[in-house]
Amino acid sequence: MSDEMTDAQKEAFVAKLRREVGSTGTPTTARDPVNQPMIRHWCDAMEDANPLYTDPETASSGPHGEIAAPPAMLNAWTMIGLVPRVNDPKDPASGVYAMLDEAGYVGVVATNSEHVYHRYLKLGDHLTGVVKLVDVSEEKQTALGIGHFVTTETEYHDQHGDHVGSMFFRILKFRPGTGRTAGPSDGDTASERPPRPRPSRNQDTDFFWQGSRAGELRIQQCLNCGRLQHPPGNRCPACGSTEMGYTVASGKGTLYSFVVSHHPRVPSFDYPLNIGLVELEEGVRLVTNITDCDPGQLKVGMPLEAWHMQTHDDVSLPVFRPARVPRNPTTLTFDEVSVGDELPLCPIPLTPTLIVSTAIASRDYQDVHHDRDMALKKGSEDIFMNILTSSGLSARYISDWAGPDAVFKNLKIRLGAPNYPYDCMTMSGSVTAKREADGEDIVEVSFRGQNSRGPHVTGTIDLALPRQ
Amino acid sequence: MTLNYAYHSAIAGIGATPFTKDSGRTPMDQAVEACLAACEDAGLPPEKVNGMVTYSAEQNPEIEVARNLGIEELTHFSMVHHGGGAACGVVAVACQAVYSGAADYVLCYRAFNERSWHRFGAGVQDRPAGAEASEVSFSWSSPFGLVTPASWVAMFATRYMHEYGATTEDFGRVSVVDRAFAATNPYAHFFQRPITLEDHQNSRWIVEPLRLLDCCQETDGAQALLVTTAERAKDLKQTPAVIASAAQGVAEDQHMMRSYYRDNITGIPEMGLCARQLYQSSGLSAEDIQTAIIYDHFTPLVLPQLEEFGFCDRGEAKDFIRDGHLERDGRLPINTNGGQLGEAYIHGLNGIAEGVRQIRGTSVNQIDNVENVLATAGTAVPTSALILSQPS
Repeated sequence: MSDEMTDAQKEAFVAKLRREVGSTGTPTTARDPVNQPMIRHWCDAMEDANPLYTDPETASSGPHGEIAAPPAMLNAWTMIGLVPRVNDPKDPASGVYAMLDEAGYVGVVATNSEHVYHRYLKLGDHLTGVVKLVDVSEEKQTALGIGHFVTTETEYHDQHGDHVGSMFFRILKFRPGTGRTAGPSDGDTASERPPRPRPSRNQDTDFFWQGSRAGELRIQQCLNCGRLQHPPGNRCPACGSTEMGYTVASGKGTLYSFVVSHHPRVPSFDYPLNIGLVELEEGVRLVTNITDCDPGQLKVGMPLEAWHMQTHDDVSLPVFRPARVPRNPTTLTFDEVSVGDELPLCPIPLTPTLIVSTAIASRDYQDVHHDRDMALKKGSEDIFMNILTSSGLSARYISDWAGPDAVFKNLKIRLGAPNYPYDCMTMSGSVTAKREADGEDIVEVSFRGQNSRGPHVTGTIDLALPRQ
Repeated sequence: MTLNYAYHSAIAGIGATPFTKDSGRTPMDQAVEACLAACEDAGLPPEKVNGMVTYSAEQNPEIEVARNLGIEELTHFSMVHHGGGAACGVVAVACQAVYSGAADYVLCYRAFNERSWHRFGAGVQDRPAGAEASEVSFSWSSPFGLVTPASWVAMFATRYMHEYGATTEDFGRVSVVDRAFAATNPYAHFFQRPITLEDHQNSRWIVEPLRLLDCCQETDGAQALLVTTAERAKDLKQTPAVIASAAQGVAEDQHMMRSYYRDNITGIPEMGLCARQLYQSSGLSAEDIQTAIIYDHFTPLVLPQLEEFGFCDRGEAKDFIRDGHLERDGRLPINTNGGQLGEAYIHGLNGIAEGVRQIRGTSVNQIDNVENVLATAGTAVPTSALILSQPS
């Protein structure tokens, strides 16, 4: 219907959408005060193990003196929960959403979220949020579809009326099926791609391929002397035994050497193609692919972890991605950090469980984040990660690097390619500024989370770090 | 172990076709032309040839070449495996044949339309799966897209750079040297087309860290050598290039271009094995070599070859190269024909022919006072090497 709108009608529609720009809505008070169960649920889903959020003893000696809520939860507290949405006629933002829904712009994705934290929230804090409609854009053609960006700003106050934080937020409301990539041919190119060269195998090497199909990285081991060998052989070069078995490797290793292939292009592969020689912690090496990592991020010595990529009905290949670096249990000091420092890469495998559990943990019950049928109906390829989770995972990534006592001052993110299930998002980041502000030592980190389609999230964060 | 055929044999004749990108002829036709030219160069009627050695990669069977040459009887015929690694190996086997008396005059040849018919650079992407060990060996690399010779070599190059601080510019300097010699060699594909290091750095990636100008050419053409005893060679037309020694090498845990599983992968132990055999049997050492043909299918592996032969210490080839020692007036000018990057890629056999010209004093880029010339064969594969010397 809106397809047939004339320019004049479109103009009138935008004017109607913008009528309430600048006005604020009804204050919304959180259904529950800040509480440990919701924090714990969030930390479990986000895999955020910072003890300041859940361990009273550690928290008591930390910078907040008691348990604090993860700052990225800011807007989770006032989410409405799994109850029917009531359209509050006095709320300018929900009025705009309703008008857009009615006009066919039923698809919704969040594109920007900028938190500012005046203080960390403590157990018992009870938040109230007031939303102001800041802007409604002209109709835009985006990759997802034709739609309007709606921008709001929410101010959060505690039970004493103290201003604790704010959020600048932007969503795109779009008409499903009007995206630049929409159409019947979408996705066909991948299915027409010829499969990779099939591994040649025989009785001597079947154990390896059977293992990879079963999710195991099996390395040949001499049953007599225990020596490991790859590629497999028929006789142990160390002791001469012909009794050969295998061990299951941990899948942990480091990059011993690598190449990035550009030419010639074999149709079965994406180029540029990362090919690595990985040294397993068990001591043997194998040729493999390094996935979920830009060619420029490859470094000899980088830690890697195995996964198994299915390439044929009966074949999986052991391939590697950057390994998640353990959480830093001590906190970096301001002096230890320099502009240009790079954060270690961190892969985040996008399982359906991660996408659904984090959506629920952030109290985001939008069906597109947990219900595949509804997601498809609304123009998405699958369920996709919600923006609170993109914030939460970004915060976890930065906090795991900086250490538990780093204090977040803000968190600004912008979303790009959606995080669909079965992909992997790899976080990277670097220190882009250091400054003193209001007596605090602030470090700015710029970060990015990239999935196979491109950058899912880019953003910056200001952290206050201890001087000593 | 000693090679008792040291100084016993000589290369008495060399012959080649023009090196092109589209010969418009069959490789067989070119093989015959090159073999006839080698006999003509030596002043030997081709029907006197009674031995033939070629590469197992060669697609022109020796019996058909022999038929075309009018050879009635062959008393030695054999093939050497592993592609360009066979280059000096065919000469080594020819030496063994003439030393043992199995043959008197042995032709070594290699002919292909490697640019216009079957492009070697494409690698093994179309190789079908199979259960034989030769196929199974590819299962550890091909499914991951490591399917070309350039990519196999690049894996060594990255590690070498990491351990020794060599850069892609150091690889580029090898390319610049080759192309400088090619520029003054009318037989070279890149005659009058030298490059700068900047050209190298601006050339596109093939497989990082290898750029286009790190990779040898693909060529249509043929090269033949005639080997006989040094004694018989004296009666032929040319100054004999005496084969001081020729050796082959396979080292521990050897794989075809993918020996990635050794404790250290920055050296070329199979080439080190060749070096030890050559020096031991000939009594020569690095100081005795005035110029060399260092196999250059891809520039990075020129560096460890210099180290394996003792021209510099391990990890210091980059410094040796930066100091200009491979250039025309350097300590060890290499690949004076332009190498396989500049002249042509005939699986190393054209380089050995250039070594012969350096001994004769007839190279277009003749080095002064050449007594001994080193030539090496394909790297990362089972390989070979030889030293040519002035006749006593």
